[in-house]
Amino acid sequence: MSTIPLPPSSTTTAGQTARAFRGLRLRLAHNVIQGVLSGSRLRLSMVVICTTIFWAGLFFLFFGGFQFLEMYGALSGDFVEYIFSLFFLSLLVMLFFSTGIILYSGLFQRKEAAFLMTMPAAADRVFAYKFFESIAISSWAFILLGSPLMAAYGISVAVHWSFYVVFLAFLFAFVLIPGSVGAVAAVLVARFFPRRQKTVLAMLGGLVILGAISLVSQLLRTPGDTFSSDWLDSLLGRISFCQNALLPSRWMSKGLVETAKGNWPQGMFYLAVIAGHAGVLYLLAAVVARDLYRTAYSRVQGERTTKRRVGGYGLDNLFHKVFGFLARPIRLLILKDLRTFRRDPAQWSQFLIFFGLLALYFVSIRRIGYDTQKPYWRNLISFLNIGVTALILSTFTSRFIFPLMSLEGRNFWVLGLLPLSRSSILWGKFVFSTGISLVSTEVLIVLGDLMLRMPPTMILLHMGMVLILCLGLSGISVGLGARLPNLKEDDPSRIAAGFGGTLNLLVSLVFIFLIVSSLALPCHLYFLGQDEFGSGSFTLNESQFHFWLGVAIAGSLVVGAVGTLLPLRIGIKAFRRMEF
Amino acid sequence: MIEICGVTKAFGNKKAVDHLDLHVRAGELFGFLGPNGAGKTTTIKMVCGLLKPTSGTVTIGGHVAGTREARQLLAYVPDQPYLYEKLTGREFLRFVVEMYGLETKRASKRIDELIDTFEMRDYIDDLCESYSHGMKQRVVFASALVHDPKVLIVDEPLVGLDPRSARIVKDLFIAQARSGVAVLMSTHLLAIAEELADTIGIIDKGTMLVRGTVAELRDRAQMQGPLEGLFLKLTGGDRPISGVGMVGEGPAGSNGHASTIQVGEGESAR
Repeated sequence: MSTIPLPPSSTTTAGQTARAFRGLRLRLAHNVIQGVLSGSRLRLSMVVICTTIFWAGLFFLFFGGFQFLEMYGALSGDFVEYIFSLFFLSLLVMLFFSTGIILYSGLFQRKEAAFLMTMPAAADRVFAYKFFESIAISSWAFILLGSPLMAAYGISVAVHWSFYVVFLAFLFAFVLIPGSVGAVAAVLVARFFPRRQKTVLAMLGGLVILGAISLVSQLLRTPGDTFSSDWLDSLLGRISFCQNALLPSRWMSKGLVETAKGNWPQGMFYLAVIAGHAGVLYLLAAVVARDLYRTAYSRVQGERTTKRRVGGYGLDNLFHKVFGFLARPIRLLILKDLRTFRRDPAQWSQFLIFFGLLALYFVSIRRIGYDTQKPYWRNLISFLNIGVTALILSTFTSRFIFPLMSLEGRNFWVLGLLPLSRSSILWGKFVFSTGISLVSTEVLIVLGDLMLRMPPTMILLHMGMVLILCLGLSGISVGLGARLPNLKEDDPSRIAAGFGGTLNLLVSLVFIFLIVSSLALPCHLYFLGQDEFGSGSFTLNESQFHFWLGVAIAGSLVVGAVGTLLPLRIGIKAFRRMEF
Repeated sequence: MIEICGVTKAFGNKKAVDHLDLHVRAGELFGFLGPNGAGKTTTIKMVCGLLKPTSGTVTIGGHVAGTREARQLLAYVPDQPYLYEKLTGREFLRFVVEMYGLETKRASKRIDELIDTFEMRDYIDDLCESYSHGMKQRVVFASALVHDPKVLIVDEPLVGLDPRSARIVKDLFIAQARSGVAVLMSTHLLAIAEELADTIGIIDKGTMLVRGTVAELRDRAQMQGPLEGLFLKLTGGDRPISGVGMVGEGPAGSNGHASTIQVGEGESAR
């Protein structure tokens, strides 16, 4: 067999491909930034304003926390180290998962990977390009979360300005550690379990969740009066594992604290330890990718199988019978979405994990002893429960309901040719979203209230609140999803992470705040009066409570109706005008 | 130039390609035909190094498929090509020439030539996200040719192209083959294969059923007329289609769909 030699002028060196990737990255970044700057000013201003508010909110929260810790005098330094260690340990785990998942998708599932694999770039070069892209995507939230923490800490202990520069170096080196380990895991999973990647992910995720549940339950059972010295001692003892000298999170916290104190040699030592480990782990990831990426890619592509779905139609018939009062086209649309939902593990597994964790917490309420607290505390906890449930529901509607219209728009020819009005499509989505939300959240809230031994009238009030929240959050997500669709993207998570998705989440948060706070306030003031009667604080007596609760209910009904119908109306109007 | 020797590719228990032998010489335009799921795209992906054969060998110019040397000789246009949406067409072409290590002056000249050849000057400096499917296809073809490959692999080349673009692409394939490039073209359009290909191979269930020039294939099958009849006969596509009437059997037959089936087999369907 004769071999065709490559002319020297047409062989690519490693340096040339590296330059090409660098140029690509810069060009893409430049074009994206230019696109954002030349795009809608309203959109840009909203993003900047919301980010600033979020950053400032976190900063003041952390700053208040550090000032509170200063009450403990000499011990505050120890607390800070523990808090930093726990914070960075959590980030370590989160970055491991997020970088691993994003990189897996980038290396094995996106069309870009196939394109790059046919180019003359070496496998480890393609890996490096995708690795740093994944690190950037997975770490931006870390920077948004970590920078106000460090700014608040820096100001509270009056550090030299150079601390902030060093922090950036710490940050860059630190994210490479979980990122590299996640990258090795992604390539190994693709190479050895090409058909079992979701199972491996679920098992790892399950282990982390079990660990988190066990930790939280131990922390909740810390003996002693809250914030007393004994209680704090005991609490620190329970999280002492995060101070293990072998953990990168510990090096990070120790290094930052020492640098803040002005102990530069010690701070730089920890920076060197983190950077050294980051370098070695990245090298390991690059070697693994060099040797296994191409084989792993081939296996992932080759091992895909079609999944035959037969049966389950009995459920469909049951659905038609139960919801016979809805128009048939709407029922068919809901069924289609339900089928998609139950066949997409990404949707129901996240739903199950979040609501499962909440259910677990509600079931544990009596073990923690919340049910024996005074009515004031039980009332407060019950409203916090509703708030948390609504917040989780809003992430679900933003992540899964908001992108529905964008995804539908791409296949609109299917629905567009059916004898359906466009508004029916939206109403179908709304009923689907409200139905799923109502079933899960009402059960949770009733469970939580029963565990807290709340009176029946309060349970009824909470059920009504949840109904308003479900209707409103569904209306917002469906309406804004139709008003701000992203028809170019076929990945729902990217649609949710875009401008429309972010705005949807923000509007949802405002809606939750209005509904929960308006009803919680009169109840809170009434129960405060019950517990601390005559203390002189602003409280409500029985008749005042009934009056203000009536006002709050009427107000929340109005807000609920506006929050539900207005976005739907806007969405229907936009959807009718839309050209595909 | 392309040597596929005894290649099998199995996905679990299913063999997508089964002991396939295929050789495409330099300067040959090979039309790769087969029904849906016959193993065409799997074979092409193995030639490009995206899939590894379960057994057998695939080489490009003597280099094992997937190695850097093989990729340096090869250009691949998939059925669903990829473009960076946030790059302009020109920036995308520049990225490709940089990846292939082409000298800047020569590369710029080549890019300009291809922009003219594919008539892309009006939109080449716009972001790819604003392109229609046909515009994207032209940029992808230009990117495949920009580094003067020795082997050109094309999967369903004319999907989404208007008649003029299709003509440009067809002329280009012939010109590439005449200049010594080995072209492996997978297509469902039998007329295109008949019009362009020097050699045609028909694959079904992962096995090469027949291979030769159009004239050779006709001689072998002892039949005249379009390639479609032979293709349907070989791949079993001439069997009756349930629910579709034939000529003389009612409205379905009268629109001409079923009569095509009748030609291949020479017998009427039920």
